[in-house]
Amino acid sequence: MIRLVAGALVAAVTLVLPAMLDDSALAVYILLGLAAMVTVGVSLLMGYAGQVSLGQGAFYAIGAYTAALLALSGVPPLAGLIAAPLAAALFALVIGMPLLRLRGHHLAFATLAMQLILLSLAGQLEVTGGDIGLQAIPQFSVGGLEIGSAAAYAYMTWAGLALVMLVTHNVITSRPGRALRALATSETAAASSGIPVGRYKLVVFALSAAFAGLAGGVYCFYTGYVAPGSFPVLISIQYIVMAVVGGLGTIWGAVVGAAAITLLVQGLDQLAYLPGMPSYAPSVLSYAVYALVLIVVVLFLPNGLLPAVADRLPWRRRSAPPAEIR
Amino acid sequence: MLAVTGVSRSFGGVYAVRDVSLSVADGEVCGIIGPNGAGKSTLFNLITGHLTADRGEISFLGHRVDRLAPHRRARLGMSIVFQAARVFRGMTVRENVMVGMHGRTSAGFVSAALRLPRHRHDEREIAAQASSALERVGLSDWADRPADRLPIGQQRALQLARALCARPRLLLLDEPASGLRGQERERLAALVEELRAGGLTILLIEHDVGFVTRLADRLVVLDLGQVIADGPPAEVRADPLVLAAYLGQAS
Repeated sequence: MIRLVAGALVAAVTLVLPAMLDDSALAVYILLGLAAMVTVGVSLLMGYAGQVSLGQGAFYAIGAYTAALLALSGVPPLAGLIAAPLAAALFALVIGMPLLRLRGHHLAFATLAMQLILLSLAGQLEVTGGDIGLQAIPQFSVGGLEIGSAAAYAYMTWAGLALVMLVTHNVITSRPGRALRALATSETAAASSGIPVGRYKLVVFALSAAFAGLAGGVYCFYTGYVAPGSFPVLISIQYIVMAVVGGLGTIWGAVVGAAAITLLVQGLDQLAYLPGMPSYAPSVLSYAVYALVLIVVVLFLPNGLLPAVADRLPWRRRSAPPAEIR
Repeated sequence: MLAVTGVSRSFGGVYAVRDVSLSVADGEVCGIIGPNGAGKSTLFNLITGHLTADRGEISFLGHRVDRLAPHRRARLGMSIVFQAARVFRGMTVRENVMVGMHGRTSAGFVSAALRLPRHRHDEREIAAQASSALERVGLSDWADRPADRLPIGQQRALQLARALCARPRLLLLDEPASGLRGQERERLAALVEELRAGGLTILLIEHDVGFVTRLADRLVVLDLGQVIADGPPAEVRADPLVLAAYLGQAS
């Protein structure tokens, strides 16, 4: 009952907000939704399946470049938007075969390296427009109906987020989801229960890449240009901070974390661009804040914001597991 | 049912298991004993596929399995209860047991994401089997608790329920009594006896000779990676080689 009311409330707010915000606030709202989309994938990959990726920004970039290149060559935008997650997932499948043999921080560094390589390739190749990137990407349209307003992109973004959350929820609460959660604890025990561990890791990696790719596709139509500079390594770290802050292994936590970090960084940006602040202030401040927030959350709220708040709600108290079972 | 023929495995030039042959007949409870470091766990891992043999053959139900991945052997009907508590964290007791049904169902990511009929059918089947496995090991009252908070005895029972959920042809138990106190150990022994009475084939590694003698139809004794005795428990326990191996360790 409480869940239903909360769900209806969230739905109502997401539907009403785009109509009330001005364009600059809408930009934040859209970027927040896109970040949440990627972060849900990170939470699925890290929180449920126990695999680390410091390269989700690369899949975001692949989605953005795919949709941009297709749109610029005259393919209908809708087809480009559908191709974006598919291209990211396909790339993840190919690169995942060697990479997912690694574990823990080896996997983290390998995925980070993947993003660095892709970014430098995108900056060098002619087809991706080099460092300048791709510009004048047509507006998104479906069957001749052009979507030009920021409010329309906001609805598109949050519809995409809802889809990503629904898919994640459905996967997690089912046979393949239980298999993923099992292999996060012990690959040996999971394999002994008949789970093809390697294949499942590959699929969840591709699924999280698809979420990032979809976000990238929306991003390229919304901003109208993509360049390597739009996808710094910091963005991949940001998704992990969002997932950890919100609560790894929770779907809503990813959204809460994305919202908390996006709004925090917005506030800091305003501070950093105040007259008299040095030119390096914005990047130094955002790096420092990611580090600080991460440390504080890991130290004091190891399960993340959402579980910490949820456990303190009066109606959740009695369902808390007993401290000790005889 | 299970035939291990001339299997060897070495680590850095040292044989952990050397030219081991043994077979387990349908419906039999076979115990593997031996002092620490005798190669029991290595042999177990070779049978289940978590290690591959340098030499030798392993066949199960008429299939050569010594090159198959662990999950494929599991799907042919091998289920394992590990010695170390391998319960899946962050999942309830019931969900842990449901994982045991993985090999017997097929709903994948697409069925799950789109909630296709295949998913619904499998979920019903999985839930029903998990409930009956939980009941069988006496964990029904704990079904919705977080699995990693169970005491060790119940964690072992949980693993047993998960293994049974897969409806195994061969159940492998790795030191099931280790770390259990009197009453827990009694309950586990009773459970294994019940399974044996039901005709399940069981291969059991055990350090505690008393526990395994009570349950096993046949004992295989390993020492320094080799089989030194194989036969009915009473005979094996009187074997001078076996006595020497155990006394040698004690001195």
